[in-house]
Amino acid sequence: MNYPFWDVPHIGSGWVIGLIAIFHVMISHFAVGGGFYLWLAERKALRENRREWLVMLRQHSKFFLVLTGVFGAASGVGIWFAIGLAHPEATSTLIHNFVFGWAIEWVFFMVELTTAAVYYYTWGRIPDRLHLKVGWVYAVASLFTLIIINGILTFMLTPGAAWLSVAGSGQEAAKFWAAFFNPTYWPSLFLRTLVCVSLAGIWALVTCSRLDGERQPALKTELVRWSAKWLLPSFLLLPLVLAWFLWQVPESQRELLKLGISTIGSGAFTQVTRISMLIALTSGTIVLVVYFLAWRSPREFTLSHALAVLLLGLIATASGEYTRETLRKPYVIGQHMYSNGVRKQWVADKYNREGYLMHSPWVSKDPALPPQMATGQAMFRGQCMSCHTRDGYRSMERLLAGRNPEAIQNLLKVLHENKENNPYRAYMPPVVGTADEIAALGAYLAAWSPAFKPPPAKPAK
Amino acid sequence: MKALAASVYQWMDERLGLEEALAFARHKTVPVHRHTFWYYWGGISLLFFLIQAFTGILLLVYYRPGPEAYDSVRQITYDINFGWLIRSAHSWAANLMIGAIFIHMFSVYFMKAYRKPREIGWFSGIGLLLLCMVFGFSGYLLPMDELAYFATKVGLEIPQKTPVIGPVIANLMRGGLEVSEFTVQRFFALHVVVLPALFLPLLGLHLWLVQKHGNAWPPAEEVKPAAERKTMPFFPNFLAKDLAMWLITLNVLAVCAALFPWDLGEQADALKAPPPGIHPEWYFMSSFMVIKLFQGAWGQAFAMGLFTLGLVLWTLVPLFDSTRHAGQRGKYATYFGLLVVVILAVTTIWAYYAVAAEIQQHAQGL
Repeated sequence: MNYPFWDVPHIGSGWVIGLIAIFHVMISHFAVGGGFYLWLAERKALRENRREWLVMLRQHSKFFLVLTGVFGAASGVGIWFAIGLAHPEATSTLIHNFVFGWAIEWVFFMVELTTAAVYYYTWGRIPDRLHLKVGWVYAVASLFTLIIINGILTFMLTPGAAWLSVAGSGQEAAKFWAAFFNPTYWPSLFLRTLVCVSLAGIWALVTCSRLDGERQPALKTELVRWSAKWLLPSFLLLPLVLAWFLWQVPESQRELLKLGISTIGSGAFTQVTRISMLIALTSGTIVLVVYFLAWRSPREFTLSHALAVLLLGLIATASGEYTRETLRKPYVIGQHMYSNGVRKQWVADKYNREGYLMHSPWVSKDPALPPQMATGQAMFRGQCMSCHTRDGYRSMERLLAGRNPEAIQNLLKVLHENKENNPYRAYMPPVVGTADEIAALGAYLAAWSPAFKPPPAKPAK
Repeated sequence: MKALAASVYQWMDERLGLEEALAFARHKTVPVHRHTFWYYWGGISLLFFLIQAFTGILLLVYYRPGPEAYDSVRQITYDINFGWLIRSAHSWAANLMIGAIFIHMFSVYFMKAYRKPREIGWFSGIGLLLLCMVFGFSGYLLPMDELAYFATKVGLEIPQKTPVIGPVIANLMRGGLEVSEFTVQRFFALHVVVLPALFLPLLGLHLWLVQKHGNAWPPAEEVKPAAERKTMPFFPNFLAKDLAMWLITLNVLAVCAALFPWDLGEQADALKAPPPGIHPEWYFMSSFMVIKLFQGAWGQAFAMGLFTLGLVLWTLVPLFDSTRHAGQRGKYATYFGLLVVVILAVTTIWAYYAVAAEIQQHAQGL
């Protein structure tokens, strides 16, 4: 077993996290927003004596329980496994800083899971007011899971000056609150809350679409329209909150968004620009789609319509998560740890002088290989593989095609020195290690194409 | 404010007859049944055409036909702000438009919407599809990269091999014996002047006929008594749903352009050997395969004749299966449609396998 080198061929370990995370975000944000939806809808139904609403809400809460309690919880655990395997260094740093934060989140998570089950199984079995209270406890507990995890997620993008001043000293946990309430904490919390509210509406539309518009025209009209309204806060406030969020992101990270304005050149990290543009388009149009399909003709609103809206929600969510993740480049923890687990403050003294492999507890050489190849392979696995694959996503074979061994060494030199004019500096960590280690990495990469391959048909500009 | 708006509306109405148009739209209905979904594909095709016109005009700002063609597309793709977006949207929308038209055409075919009195709508639709394919063929060359150059070269060798008139036609299209900057100039004129001049009036006729005759009932619905058939008003119900479909389509296009932006290959070099597996765009792959199956000039002429005959029969189906009282003919037309779908699908997939095999053979040969 080659743990912790999680070699996921073709797509890379990052995409395993990404795919689980996108799926998880769609459900976990629904788990938060949906709790408030159920509570407020039930309250409205009881206050206005809309008993027929309760039948639909009961169905919706079953769907909700299965989706969030099974798929949401399982994918959440999936993220833990995936990040532990793909980023052991970063995961370790997060645990050391936020272990009590996570412990508290899990308490709320247990309350959330329990109350979701109690809420569904006690429909009609306990007094209405008590049932409503269970819904309220669920909603608040789920909101607290967001309030806590948001601090840890935003910490990775903007750990803040106070935490960075003690980073690596062993006193990091003393700055728990400063790290938790970091510069992007509040805009991110508002942003995610808006997403939760929208997703609550979108998933509710899926359930509402199953109502028979001919047999229950009034009920379907009321519920479809009431659910559609949940998309309005996002539509109105999202541009402002997004601008607030970006304002809090360091200038160097914001610059990443501009890389793809003028080009699609391969290897120039342009995809963030393109994908961030999708967030704006999809978020802007989803409300109009809901207006035309649901609000205007609620009785004719079908499951296909609801799934189309859900698909748009998925595009917006996936684009948002991808952009947020990539905005951290070249770091996994801003200004502290590069995306390959290399600690910024160790670069000069430890990695470059004493050796990368010596200071990388996760790395071991393959004894079956010749010594230089074994060193090169360990360097590749430790420093390149968190973002690159050999022949798939961000393929090294494609990116290095046409370069002879000397050109590969020159490229590594540029990445190692990491001067101001290094064109990759904005999004790639420096290559660290002693001269011998870097030479071994170059030799390892060059060995994939001994006679170096001709340039690709599509030029990298 | 309201009074002002009302007086402006009245002024416009007296001159343009807005009320009449609105009354017509309100009066018009769209059938509602389990196949209503297919009614949206004509509108989706239209949206793609509008996007093509809009992005095409923007590309004209920087595109320079002739010897600088490649360099200008390189600038658009790699230098100019959002040039890549316009080009990617144009290229993606071109392919998606032809895909949408195919779906529209087959849904019209299987719902028998070509029957009396909609024959001319069907004929004009086929004309629009063919023009779109020529749009695609001529537009493909314009970047003048390696792939475009060799695909056009191979494409024009097909008419070249037609006995007697072939070489004349091929030379006329190429502007000489070889694909060159003169070919780009000709294709450019065809792409931005000649084809739009033919396309727009035909599109106008097609849309007018759609308005005049409305959406056809599929045969299974048509036999039901009028009281059992459901409809929705075109305005505002169907239009609102149409707009929603347009927005969804726009998002699909944006996802394609963002995740898979249209790249540019190396500059075309006539002296270089063509890369292995040169092939046309997907919508020509079926005819490409059929022609490949036959060897020699007469063999290829036969293949082209076969394809042309199929197209003629396809176009003339409304004359064969003209009304719902056509009896067995309706069934035969459906079988013919299924046969066409199977042939197109099989030959297209086969063509892609053949191309992949050629590339693999080439790689092993190295």
